[in-house]
Amino acid sequence: MDPSEVEFLAEKELVKIIPNFSLDKIYLIGGDLGPFNPGLPVDVPLWLALNFKQRQKCRIIPADWMDVEKLEEIRELEKREEAFTPVPSPYYMELTKLLLNHASDNIPKADEIRTLVKDIWDTRIAKLRLSADSFISQQEAHAKLDNLTLMEINTIREFLLDSLNCMYKLRSNLQPGSSGRTFTDF
Amino acid sequence: MSEAAFDDSEINQDDSQEDVMTPAELIAKLEEAWLNEKFSPELQENKSEVVECVMEQLTHMESNLQRVKKGDAKASIHRMEVDRVRFVLASYLRSRLQKIEKFFPHVLEREKTRADGEPSLLSPEEFAFAKEYYDNTEAYLKAVALKRMPPNLQSIDMLKAVPEPCLDSFVFLRVKEKQENILIEPETDDQREYVVDLEEGSQHLMRYRAIAPLISNGAVQLI
Repeated sequence: MDPSEVEFLAEKELVKIIPNFSLDKIYLIGGDLGPFNPGLPVDVPLWLALNFKQRQKCRIIPADWMDVEKLEEIRELEKREEAFTPVPSPYYMELTKLLLNHASDNIPKADEIRTLVKDIWDTRIAKLRLSADSFISQQEAHAKLDNLTLMEINTIREFLLDSLNCMYKLRSNLQPGSSGRTFTDF
Repeated sequence: MSEAAFDDSEINQDDSQEDVMTPAELIAKLEEAWLNEKFSPELQENKSEVVECVMEQLTHMESNLQRVKKGDAKASIHRMEVDRVRFVLASYLRSRLQKIEKFFPHVLEREKTRADGEPSLLSPEEFAFAKEYYDNTEAYLKAVALKRMPPNLQSIDMLKAVPEPCLDSFVFLRVKEKQENILIEPETDDQREYVVDLEEGSQHLMRYRAIAPLISNGAVQLI
């Protein structure tokens, strides 16, 4: 899966905006939105919020978790724990990147937030590399990865799955009485 | 506001009579089918009802959009949503076609040998495509190489010639309905097989073969 496809899924998340225009309710296939009144907050999917923001038709309100103290706590917790800690949002990385790129004027202390989220990401990816390594060396057949987000899984998806599949094929050819079916190369 | 060229309530009314699902649920189902198809090593069960309903929604929206003058505020929002849904649908269908091309003899064999009550693997168009692909490949191989072979070597068994999908590939999944006692087969001789319980909402990495039947009944979602 391409990272832009993960971002596509992340863009469905609802965010709060304050429009500066009015529009009555719209009936999208995916649900109803609005009505829009200037100055009154309304929830819309991120893809629409970004479009409005780019056309200067709204202000985006950052989520509760996009706050320096909260993120510092999360970062400390992530560094202390060996396992993956619960994330503020299943799409925290994508939301941070998109909102900071397009709406940094609506987010207080944007640069600090960017650094904090990057730290959290780096710590988690390092843990992910370690656990992928031990998964392979222990030749496990099952792993539970509850608090991992889709973007993190997607980073190692191709490499990990390809390696596991290759190793499986090599091992199953060693076992006596292997079925002799042909497998694809990838 | 704008002369509603969109009698938006139309859409919801029509569908509540025909479908059991709301349009939003329909789109969610399409996205689930898209992800499952993308990440599974073999072709998934055909979801033609979902595809047809989504196509209906899209053509309805498109025709509304044609009737409206450009620059209408609502039109651009609807247009963006239509583009997003169209992307998912196109990607889903493309994914299926890629797998049909890759595993064409096995796909046709599965379709031939399935029991009457089971849902079909291919839509009628996909079936026609697979058959044509099979015939074209066979004709090509004959014309290019086989007819120059000694007479006793001029046939080809497609089922043996084309590799099967590897059902032992690993996949990532999220559990939607709690499952008990999923058997995990051992990798090497010195390991034993064991069972795991899948809690609702948890995410796992395991072999596709262990959870294949759970995908079609919606108990797990590939991610």
